[in-house]
Amino acid sequence: MKYEHCIRCTICVENCPVFRVNPEFPGPKQAGPDAQRFRNGREKSAEEWVLLCSQCKRCEMACPCGVEPAQIILRAQQRYGLEHPHTAAHLLFANNYYLSTLGSITAPLANRFAATKIGKKIFRRMGIATYIPFPKFSFKTLRGEKKARSREARKVAFFYGCFINFYRPDIGRKIIRMLQSFKIDVVLPPQWCCGLPALGNGNAALARSFARKNVASLSNYIDAGYDVVYTCTSCGLCLLHDYQGILEIPEAKKIAENSFDLYEYVLKLITEREIKPNFREVNRVLAYHIPCHLRALKIGYPAADVIKLIPGLQCRILDDACCGLNGSYGFKKINEATAVQLGRRAVSLIQKTGAEAIVADCGSCRMQLSGLSGMDAFDPVEIICESLGIKGKK
Amino acid sequence: MSVIEYDVIVIGAGVAGLTAGSWLSGQGLKVALVTTGEPTACLSTGCIDVCAQNDDPLQGIAHLPAEHPFHLVSNATIHQALNDFQQIMTDMGMSYTGGLGKNRRILSAIGTFKTTCLTPSTMQTSPQNENEKIHIITFTGLKDFYPGYIISRFPNASFSIYNAGVPTTMGIAANFEDDTFLEAFILWLEKQNIREDKIAFPAVLGLESAMSVKERIEHRLERPIFEIPTIPPSMPGRRLFNGLKDHFRRKGGVIYWGWPVAGVEKTGRQIEAVIAESRGRPNSLNARAFILATGSFVGGGLWAKRDTIMEKVFNLPVFVPGGQEVWFDQDYFSVNHGIGETGIAVDSSFRPKGCPWDNIFVCGAILAHTEALKNGCGHGFAIATAQAAAQCCLEHIR
Ligand code: SF4
Ligand code: SF4
Ligand code: SF4
Repeated sequence: MKYEHCIRCTICVENCPVFRVNPEFPGPKQAGPDAQRFRNGREKSAEEWVLLCSQCKRCEMACPCGVEPAQIILRAQQRYGLEHPHTAAHLLFANNYYLSTLGSITAPLANRFAATKIGKKIFRRMGIATYIPFPKFSFKTLRGEKKARSREARKVAFFYGCFINFYRPDIGRKIIRMLQSFKIDVVLPPQWCCGLPALGNGNAALARSFARKNVASLSNYIDAGYDVVYTCTSCGLCLLHDYQGILEIPEAKKIAENSFDLYEYVLKLITEREIKPNFREVNRVLAYHIPCHLRALKIGYPAADVIKLIPGLQCRILDDACCGLNGSYGFKKINEATAVQLGRRAVSLIQKTGAEAIVADCGSCRMQLSGLSGMDAFDPVEIICESLGIKGKK
Repeated sequence: MSVIEYDVIVIGAGVAGLTAGSWLSGQGLKVALVTTGEPTACLSTGCIDVCAQNDDPLQGIAHLPAEHPFHLVSNATIHQALNDFQQIMTDMGMSYTGGLGKNRRILSAIGTFKTTCLTPSTMQTSPQNENEKIHIITFTGLKDFYPGYIISRFPNASFSIYNAGVPTTMGIAANFEDDTFLEAFILWLEKQNIREDKIAFPAVLGLESAMSVKERIEHRLERPIFEIPTIPPSMPGRRLFNGLKDHFRRKGGVIYWGWPVAGVEKTGRQIEAVIAESRGRPNSLNARAFILATGSFVGGGLWAKRDTIMEKVFNLPVFVPGGQEVWFDQDYFSVNHGIGETGIAVDSSFRPKGCPWDNIFVCGAILAHTEALKNGCGHGFAIATAQAAAQCCLEHIR
């Protein structure tokens, strides 16, 4: 948030995926530091276009002067959200946690409905895009998992995030099994949505209430000697950066100091010689799509470093393209064209590598990329488990 | 304690940092590169200036003042480094034209000529004098590119305007990546009945596919076309950065973005680790040696305060040419500002002079006495000093 440091070099603009394809969006320099000079508390915000920013944070990673245009825009989005009525789509996605809870209880029905013509029509009427199928709710969420505790020295409190909980609990189970195979105790602490979808849909108050509950819960586990491990890179970014930043949650620093990206954690255990995984050959050629929010976590690409240890595996890293979906962003009809164009570009870069399948840490990236390309998209843990011979129940 | 131990950490993602990093990775070392953001190379024309003081760049270097750091690099290394560079960019699908034998000229957006050594192949046929017959294409609403500037100096030039649907360099370049757009554009171009020998474009012919876009237009229009570099956002600068960056990765290098160095760990005469600002646990990376390639003032390597100039990462001693009264020339556009000499003075192994640590090597624009503007030594200088410093670093480690 140092808009005065901007030297107007336009490097952020060159990196903005939305600016590249949507002429309605003025780009991070104008929407961020430039417009900031004119924003004041007195006039009502009339900048509807700030909502076109997908919060991918690529501008922030590129800026050589530490200006953080995405932060400036995020705050302008909250302001706009406060002063204007929310659209149906915004309300829906901000509250995706509650809706998903409902969706998973009624999973068989809800999924069938979402796939019907009428379901799609209603979605479109509400401003929701349907170019890729809406993710399928899972009847058995991860939260329902029985707690299997033992007495290992290392203890992990797993922040699994909504995507895994509601849509892909099988991945969550694989993660737990992998950690257990390393002789680590895993518990699932009480948790709520990290709050990012609410923030992304201009509802900071809701995000803050999620954040408070999460911090209180995780903090107990940290006091009891647990390391917090997250796997959704967007959850991670919200937990580490937004709780301390825009949401101003007390005690957030403690969470940030004790939370690890899953693969960062595994890599740490390997380098500290605490574990010696026995990786067996996996003959695959993969393209690793780096989620924008992994890049924004500033921890390097730890899953790539772990995957590199697997013999026989070829993996090309691609971090130049945003997949375009950005959680709920691309599901809004007004962003559909942007999301599709960006997704197609990311897919074409992937296909140029000759890879047979995609890897990405983020569920929303995988949904977008496999939806648009027809290729398989894996979570890194699926590849690692394949190499370790760990099979997961569905 | 850091999670991962590297052999070398390069600080700075510009042409110098990426070149040094790739070279060291190619020698089998484990290399990480950390950077605050993207480099000023993205803003550049993409051209590789070696030394513009003479038609023959090596002659030019020979005549540079004795203290100029170019003299620390042998001619053999300069040759090798530039050959390697050309090979890398060819492999990455963005070949370069030219060689160390002779400097070239390229047409600028204001109709003047710029002297450089290697140019992206999309500028290969740039005219060499004002009498050449060229037809310039520009795009509706594209700011900062006015064919009028060139036409006022070129008596045999004319122009046409195409509506690409978007008015920005980035947007037009993105469109050129799309086959349908390109085809429609070529059909329009064919209808213009262009009589001139060559067709000029602002540098917007795509990002990753620029070479094939160029070849396709040339093939259909049956005459050479060339790009003219624009002010930033500059596509040729970005292609250069992307090419070097992807090559570094393919060699096994790892990049940490958004990673400004905020502190260092040291024991005795060794730097042990660099530390980044972090919201949580201290984020540190260990290595046996460090390459400093953070650039000069614009790149962010040097920081001018009211009365002193600081080096931002290690707080190394900075050579400053006298007091403030000699920093700036009266004429703003002069290339003789004294401050151009500011930077880190190094010994023959590219280690900073008067530095308390033995494992730091410095290359690129942050070196003292470079005077990049005055001497016309830009990316070429970065490439050559990077390879030389990387060699010294390798010797140190082995
Ligand atoms: S915000 Fe940063 S990258 Fe963007 S123009 Fe300003 S200084 Fe450059
Ligand atoms: S966060 Fe992403 S979409 Fe938003 S301005 Fe920055 S680069 Fe553009
Ligand atoms: S960011 Fe994480 S917690 Fe939030 S909705 Fe996505 S998966 Fe769920």
